[in-house]
Order: sequence, then structure tokens, then C-alpha cells
Amino acid sequence: MYNHIKEIVAAAEKTHKPISELIIEQECQLSGLPREKVWQRMKYNLQTMRAAVKRGESGNGVFSKTGLTGGEAIKLKKYREKGHTLSGDTMMAAVENAIATNEVNAAMGVVCATPTAGSSGTLPGVLFLLEKRLQLSEEQMIRFLFTAGGFGMVIANNAEIAGATGGCQAEVGSASAMGAAAAVEVAGGSAEQSAQALSIAMSNLLGLVCDPIAGLVEVPCVKRNGIGAGNALIAADMALAGCTSVIPADECIEAMKKVGHQMPASLRETGIGGLAGTPTGQAIKAKIFGKDA
Amino acid sequence: MTNRYKSVFDIIGPVMVGPSSSHTAGAVAIGRAGYKLFGGTPSKVTVHYYDSFAQTHRGHGTDYAIAAGILGFDSDDLRVPKAPEIARQRGVDLRFVEEDGPSPIGHPNTAILNMSNDKKKVELAGCSIGGGAIEIRKIVLHNTEIQPAGALPIIILVDPHKNIRIEQELTALLHEKAPFSRKRIFHTKNYNIYEYDVENYLHPDLLQELKKKFENIICL
Repeated sequence: MYNHIKEIVAAAEKTHKPISELIIEQECQLSGLPREKVWQRMKYNLQTMRAAVKRGESGNGVFSKTGLTGGEAIKLKKYREKGHTLSGDTMMAAVENAIATNEVNAAMGVVCATPTAGSSGTLPGVLFLLEKRLQLSEEQMIRFLFTAGGFGMVIANNAEIAGATGGCQAEVGSASAMGAAAAVEVAGGSAEQSAQALSIAMSNLLGLVCDPIAGLVEVPCVKRNGIGAGNALIAADMALAGCTSVIPADECIEAMKKVGHQMPASLRETGIGGLAGTPTGQAIKAKIFGKDA
Repeated sequence: MTNRYKSVFDIIGPVMVGPSSSHTAGAVAIGRAGYKLFGGTPSKVTVHYYDSFAQTHRGHGTDYAIAAGILGFDSDDLRVPKAPEIARQRGVDLRFVEEDGPSPIGHPNTAILNMSNDKKKVELAGCSIGGGAIEIRKIVLHNTEIQPAGALPIIILVDPHKNIRIEQELTALLHEKAPFSRKRIFHTKNYNIYEYDVENYLHPDLLQELKKKFENIICL
């Protein structure tokens, strides 16, 4: 198994294979399953993601039981139709996809965790934007997910991907780094550029705390996935432009782990600190769960 | 060190009912581990939550997730949010307790399941490590405390015949088809218990073979 980013890059350079291919081979070897089974399973995950995005962007949108989140993917869709977005339609399309997915998640709909449910919008945010922007085939989209997943395994095994142990940097931060690295590959960049994109994306979200209001995966989680998707595109573009991270990818991952462990428990998915601890956050919690909560 | 995440589908996946992979999908997995370990749905289950689980279980739907697992549901089963009702309809006495102290197994997403019926008592201490993946760090089975390394898969065989040849046969099969990092044998008055910490996820064919060859084998 690839335990470090530099091993993935070295293997890709040596074999002249795309990273997605290396990860498919690794999965077949680890699971003992034939390539076709592994491919079909990822295809099913892709279909799940597409269905979630579609659901969040249809009709009046999707709303959570608490009413804290929902309908904002639709607001973004209508806003985009006017054609006056400040950051460009590409960026806002990615944000819309991301938010649509997390609104479905918050409403207890079906999503594919990438790597987590709280961060499940970031990767689809990037992927379904690139599908249109780069006219990706289904095969390329499935490859995107293998590449993202392969980098994600290294992050998960060397650091954390749970908000409770690493903060939001471990969830949306990891998702954004995975998305940036995979975006580089489908855009035709090198394995080294994928690693650079991962480093840049992760560095930019380092220190992000996990502070869900009332402990719900709604605020600020839904909007943070929009930022995760946007950050992934920015990092991927920077890497494709030849910009590099001073700190190598594996060290960025190590730094993320240490920062996570240094965070107080109040900022690690306890619903106590950060936005959850504000007067408004506390009032919402009391309203939903009662005063004794 | 054994990697905690062993498949690309631990990262891209699981397909699940929201809202949280650690507090919902992972909680379903902990409940399912309890269901498998108990050998079905117990008639009484008390769930003890610690740290983040104690603070946020209500917001994350952890209660219905654990209940769903105890009923044997998968994390993408649309009945997941209704699981506590279904459990009660089936006569399961299901309770949730928020504990104040730190997790006895050293992880903020900890749930300890005390499961029983009129014949037996089983305890399982699990933690949800992120993205739906779980670790089982403590099991009490036939009054014997087992501390697995944590990461799944974990294979447990309770041998009422106390026949060392069964252990040898299982060990040989696993050596060949599913390398393990550690094996331990527990001798109790009425049983031998064999526990294996396996390196990679079990191939479906191997899972079938194990269940066919070894009566009452538990594959977590």
C-alpha cells in the first residue's frame, strides 16, 4: 500500500501510469477483487454523488428538519443564471454543487462520504463542475475518484479525517486537498503537480476548526464545503501554473495531524466552541434540544 | 503499523444516509458489530456515549444509527432514521446514556454497548475514527475480556469443544488467505476463544468459506 504521497508520485513517474491506475491496481491487490468489481463499485459511488447534486439543485431545493440549512443551492443557481457572478460562473457552479450535496446530507438524504459525510460536498463540487468544463467522460470521472481516494488514504492513515480528532481541516481540508490533486490529473497535469496541489489546498485550510452549531452537520458545514471546492480549484490552478508548495505534501499532512491534536476538545466536533459557542449558536441549540441541553 | 484505512472505498464511501459519517455511518457500523458479536439482535441494549458522542449524538442521529446497526441494517438503508421505533416495535429495550468522564478506550467518538438477553451478556466498546470507519478496542464475551488491536477485520471463534485442532485449522487457513498481525487464545472454563487481527478486508468468498467451515465464527 502507498503510505506516503512521495511514493505515489515516484511510482507514477517510474511506471508512466496515471495515479488513478496505480490506485485501482492497489485496490485489486488489497481486496483480491477483480478490476471490474472495483470499477463498478466506484461507478455506483459516482452515481450516488450525481443523484445528490441533482436533488439539491432541483425544484425549491432540499431543507433540513431543523430548517437551519437548505435552499441555498437553488439561490446560487438562480444567481448564476443572471450572469453577474463576481468570481465567475465556473467557481460558483462548483460551490453550488458542493452546497447542494451537503444540503441533502443535512436533510438526512443519501450521499457518498468523501472522505466524510460532513465534507461530502467538496469533491462533487469540483468533479461535476469539471465534467462540464473539461467535457469529462464517465471513465475520467471514475478515475478522478480513484485518484482522490488514493491521496485520501494516505491522509487518513497518516493524519486524521474526523472532525472529532482533527477539526474541520481534517474533513473539508482533506476533501479539498484530495479534490485539488485529482483535478490536476484530469486536467492533464503531472503526478508531481497533483502532489503540489494537495499541499497548497491543505496548507490553505490548516487550522480550520470543527464547531457545528447544536452538534448538527449543518452550520457551518454546508457552506464550508463550498469553500472546500473553491479552494481545491484555486490550488489545482496554481499547481498547473507551476506554483509549488515550499513544504512537501507529506509534511503538510503531518502538520495537519499535529494541529488537529493541539486543538482543544471544544473545537473538535463537540458543539461547544467556535460558532457553536456564540450567543446565537447557543440559542439555536437551546431551541432545538431544550434548555437543559 | 497496520493501516487503519485499508480500501479506497473507506475514503470514497460509504454510500450512506446523512448527516455524519463518523456519528451516523460509523455508529451504524458499531451497532452492526454488536449485532454480529451477539449473534442477532439482543433484547436489551444500553449504549454508553463518551466525549464527542456524548455531546453531539442527538444532533448527528447517532441514536438511530446505533439502533439500525443493532437491527442488522446497512448504513444506506432508508429505514436507518426510523430504527429506534422499529427496535421498540420488536421489543428491544434500548437505552442511551451520556457519560461525563473520558472514553475508557481513548477516543472521542466512543460508544460502549452492553447487550443481553435471558441467556447471555456481551459487551463491545467501539470508536468511530472518521469517514465511517470504526475500531473495536474491547469486547467482553463469556466473561472474558478481549482487547483487539482495533482496526477491522477482527475474527473471533468461540470453541466449546476446546479443540486445538480447530484453532490450528483456522490459523492455517488465515495464514494462506488473510494474513493477520496478531492472534490470541483465551482459555475459559467452558470455551476456548481465538481472536485474530486481520490485515486486509476479507474477500467475500473467504467469508463464505469461514462461515461454512467454522460454526459460530464471528467476522467483524
